Amino acid sequence: MSMQGKYIQRFSEEYEDYLKDESRMIGEADSISFPKTEESLRAILFELKNHQSKITVQGARTGITGGAIPKGGHVLNLSRMNKVKGFRYDPKSKNYFLTVQPGVLLSELRQMISDKDFDTEDWSKESLATLKRFRKDQEYFFPPDPTEASASIGGMVSNNASGARTFRYGPTRNYIEGLRIFLADGDSFLLRRGENKANGRTFVIQTDQGRILSGEIPSYAMPDVKNASGYYAKKNMDLVDLFIGSEGTLGIITEVEIKLIPKPAFFCGMTVFAPNEDIALHFICRIRECAFRPAAIEYFNADALVLLKEQKRKNAAFSTLLEMPFDSREAVYVEYHGEEEEVIQGILQAGEIFVSCGGNEADTWLALNSQGMEQLHFFRHAVPEAVNLTIDERRRKEAGLTKLGTDMAVPDAMLEDVMHLYRTTLRETGVESVIFGHIGNNHVHVNILPRNMEDYIKGKALYGKWAEAVLKMGGTVSAEHGIGKMKISLLKKMIGEKGIEEMKGIKRTFDPEWRLNIGNLFEIE
Amino acid sequence: MSIEINTEKCTRCKACIKACPFDAIKIEGERLQISEWCTRCAACISSCKFGAIEIKKDVRIVDALSDYKGVWVLVEHKKGKIAPITFELLGAGRRLADELKVSVSTIVIGDEIQTYAQTLIAYGSDEVYLIEDPSLKDYNDELYCAVMTQLIREKKPEIILIGATANGRSLAPRIASRFNTGLTADCTGLEIDPDKKILIQTRPAFGGNLMASIICPHHRPQMATIRPRVMKPMMPDESREGKVIRPNVNIPKQTSVKTLGFLDSFQDGLNLAEADIILSAGKGLGKPENLELLKQLAQILGATIGASRAIVDAGWIDSCYQIGQTGKTVAPKFYFAFGISGAIQHLAGMSTSDIIIAVNKDKDAPIFKIANYGIVGDAVEVISAMIQCFAKKQNHRL
Amino acid sequence: MDIIVCVKQVPDTQEVKIDPRTNTIVREGVSSVLNPFDAYAVEEALRIRDRFGGKVIAISMGIQKASKMLKEILALGVDDAVLLSDRVFAGADTLATAYTLALGIQKIGKYDLILCGKQAIDGDTAQVGPSLAEKLNIPHITYASKIEKLESRWIRVRRLVDDGYEIVEASLPAVITVEKGLNVPRLPSLKTFKAAQKKGVKIWNHQDILADPSCTGLNGSPTQVIKTFVPQYGKSVEILEGTMTQQVEKLFHKLSEEGFLFE
Repeated sequence: MSMQGKYIQRFSEEYEDYLKDESRMIGEADSISFPKTEESLRAILFELKNHQSKITVQGARTGITGGAIPKGGHVLNLSRMNKVKGFRYDPKSKNYFLTVQPGVLLSELRQMISDKDFDTEDWSKESLATLKRFRKDQEYFFPPDPTEASASIGGMVSNNASGARTFRYGPTRNYIEGLRIFLADGDSFLLRRGENKANGRTFVIQTDQGRILSGEIPSYAMPDVKNASGYYAKKNMDLVDLFIGSEGTLGIITEVEIKLIPKPAFFCGMTVFAPNEDIALHFICRIRECAFRPAAIEYFNADALVLLKEQKRKNAAFSTLLEMPFDSREAVYVEYHGEEEEVIQGILQAGEIFVSCGGNEADTWLALNSQGMEQLHFFRHAVPEAVNLTIDERRRKEAGLTKLGTDMAVPDAMLEDVMHLYRTTLRETGVESVIFGHIGNNHVHVNILPRNMEDYIKGKALYGKWAEAVLKMGGTVSAEHGIGKMKISLLKKMIGEKGIEEMKGIKRTFDPEWRLNIGNLFEIE
Repeated sequence: MSIEINTEKCTRCKACIKACPFDAIKIEGERLQISEWCTRCAACISSCKFGAIEIKKDVRIVDALSDYKGVWVLVEHKKGKIAPITFELLGAGRRLADELKVSVSTIVIGDEIQTYAQTLIAYGSDEVYLIEDPSLKDYNDELYCAVMTQLIREKKPEIILIGATANGRSLAPRIASRFNTGLTADCTGLEIDPDKKILIQTRPAFGGNLMASIICPHHRPQMATIRPRVMKPMMPDESREGKVIRPNVNIPKQTSVKTLGFLDSFQDGLNLAEADIILSAGKGLGKPENLELLKQLAQILGATIGASRAIVDAGWIDSCYQIGQTGKTVAPKFYFAFGISGAIQHLAGMSTSDIIIAVNKDKDAPIFKIANYGIVGDAVEVISAMIQCFAKKQNHRL
Repeated sequence: MDIIVCVKQVPDTQEVKIDPRTNTIVREGVSSVLNPFDAYAVEEALRIRDRFGGKVIAISMGIQKASKMLKEILALGVDDAVLLSDRVFAGADTLATAYTLALGIQKIGKYDLILCGKQAIDGDTAQVGPSLAEKLNIPHITYASKIEKLESRWIRVRRLVDDGYEIVEASLPAVITVEKGLNVPRLPSLKTFKAAQKKGVKIWNHQDILADPSCTGLNGSPTQVIKTFVPQYGKSVEILEGTMTQQVEKLFHKLSEEGFLFE
């Protein structure tokens, strides 16, 4: 079935990129559209309904679990719905709230906020007055910081993105005040935090067309860790939270109200190089107990550092990486935000703890200004980049290979256990790997780098084994990347058949014809 | 205090406080005061509508300024050829000399250079000074400076123009420092003040955000280095006549600086400053691997690759490809900017190109403000489409 | 080997914007940073010291506030830092700056090598290095992209010129101005940071360095800025329309009319 109309284009070669995202999966589609407004979106949805077309909603396609990969039907790309619509200030909480369309990119949003400069076309008087106030006010910021700053806001909401600073600020969810949702049939509604809550486990929503939608919140208990696996489910929960992290399976986000909070006066970062894993872990466990809490704690194991050293030598793009201390084995990055004095004290205290754990003061990098911070962030971001380059190189010989990257998190008490598990099982299997990530949240990414198909199969088996162990520890199978199309079996392991059935119940409430983002969260039947 | 605010003329409108990039103007009671933070950038002088801000300084005049006459151009040459910058300098020098009603002299330092004289005369030189010696074959800061010093002492030129090339920018400050005279770097404009008959030199300042006009009123010679491809050469006139002079100078036998060799390691083998077509890449290319695509296009077009500061800083490409305020200045016939937003620093290095073609995702990117043609779109997609399109055209012709 | 590094505090010109309505510089939020080219000079000096021994001293001319920047440089492990600061130094052009730095360096006394960034990003003149060498009566090499060899009496560098690289040798002491990319500047370690907390920045005025005030600052500057203005690039762009292929075809057509040829 293929359509063509005012807004809808028949799918052709020139749109090939829209079959892909960062997961390296390739999908298929019959048609595509790039609405700019809610009006055009509604027209598109009516047209699609006539054809009963399946719809895959896309943002900036930076996801790595295939959430934006179309499985036939229509690609609804929201990248051109990228306007900032309005601005308000809440004198009580002293926070600002920006209403943005889903296609706005995080990098653009950050720029606009730091420049205090927005495209104010069609803004209301109130919004303009807020902007005036904002320009005179101190600096504000939007804390969520997924590694990929070219992510779209819609995408970030759809899988409750998080990043290094989630350790202190929490995930995207904490900064979403309201959502405007379109259903697949073109009906719509607005959700504002605090205004639509479930009553126990039942909820009711009235749409703009006056329809009443009701359903049941799933009964599974969410793990007490950073989590991006399945629908958010809690008694008396806010319905905004149901849509955050729903991976586009329930509705199409057309507007997001985000919260901006005062920006700390001073940022400072430090990378410490430890002679072994025990010292690194010991250091991590102690600094996260400190009264002055770090904003981020990130980890790089020995293999990750070796990979970086190798890439620095071979690849021009990594040539500006800092020279690592000669005998460094493991590295930990900590970041502090606050007043200059407390931040410097925080860093010095972390230094003392590092020394008392057996580290050497000379084997540290201190970033006290924005250029230094950029260097350390570049170092952090270079690890996944280096992994991707390595895999791409190997794929040229063996096309079937992919990276096997975990995204599991466990409760605080289980950190040392899970690290021990990774280390021993990896050693037994003999596959190549690197471990890095958000260790403050007990959330490291183990990336297996298969050299051949045999490694790949071994890696897959390991992956399954770890998922089971992590679930036993009270953890999650996906802490930030989401389930997408690649981790459905893991989700099933985590919440069981019953949990999946309960989620399907919610899906049926909002998308009874089962047309939205087919293949995400649920298997295609 | 050397920049002063005339309190009678000052209306305390505070325009200067806003204009000062260094926060150097403060209100003290009823008066405005200029603090030590002042870098004499003159932003305040230009901002004052009432002419209340003046530069005052104690001047030590070393020499009788009127003793200095004539415009000099230092000839740059390499591998037996006069570099194009020389003709540009001559074009500008000729114009200035005509206004001052003085002569233009060219100074050629090198070995086996006598054949240059006629060409230089054809391009507007009245006198050609040839300083020829095997030891002067390759450029050398120390020797060239020694030669220039002797000539300047003897002949006293009022203006010396030197190319803002790697060598020119290395030599000129050494000479100016020796004579304790002023030197303006990287000029893009030269004029003669009609009343005072002094040289007004205009150059980008403050990272290219501002243009500044600079004079050197009380010292001679007035020296400037001039950006390549900004000034227009004259049409050569073979019938022009001029004098060839071989002055007597002492060439030092010993030097403390020696050039051992030349590594022609730029793969393109092309001098960016002399390229006709430049394909420049910015962060919009997404990743360093995409530069390969651009190189492919460059090969088809016979073009040279350039780069924005952002991708040089990111380590995608060597800094010798960098175009802009802190890199090279270029002015090709066709300049393609792929995925370059057009920060003022970049514009300062390429805005005098004849035809500028900008490709950028962001329709509001500043690069479009100076472009002749624009494509709003993803740079990589456009490059691929160009390769296909141009390749097709080529096949048609075959 | 004792090395002096000349550094400058500059406004981050990347952040500078022009207010399109008033045509003036918007300075709000523009921070002061170490001139990026100087960072490479500092790093190279530290590496040479770490290999050959000796001392690295950083010197700067600027306002008192620049001592914060020098403090950050001390935190990198530089042995000493000197700030030449005096009202009579204000408003210096490159000649007066070179004069003042030369006197400061003479007061420091012993040195084998002077490293500078190739230029400061606020002025972009690249003149202070060679001018300083002249004042000190020692040789200079500009635009060093790599130090190829260093012996006690001479240095060999790879110099970036317009169309390639030259290999140039100079006897020591000499002034070398460096390009970006000849190293990766380090960050302070906790150890060097803490050591620097105990050190102070020496601040010298014109009497300390025996400078003649008529040769410093504005008085000692032969050049004078008479006006500034915002550059205007008066072009109007033609945005091409259509599908990607159509746009490229159109562009090709337009450029052909402008005399665009390719082999």
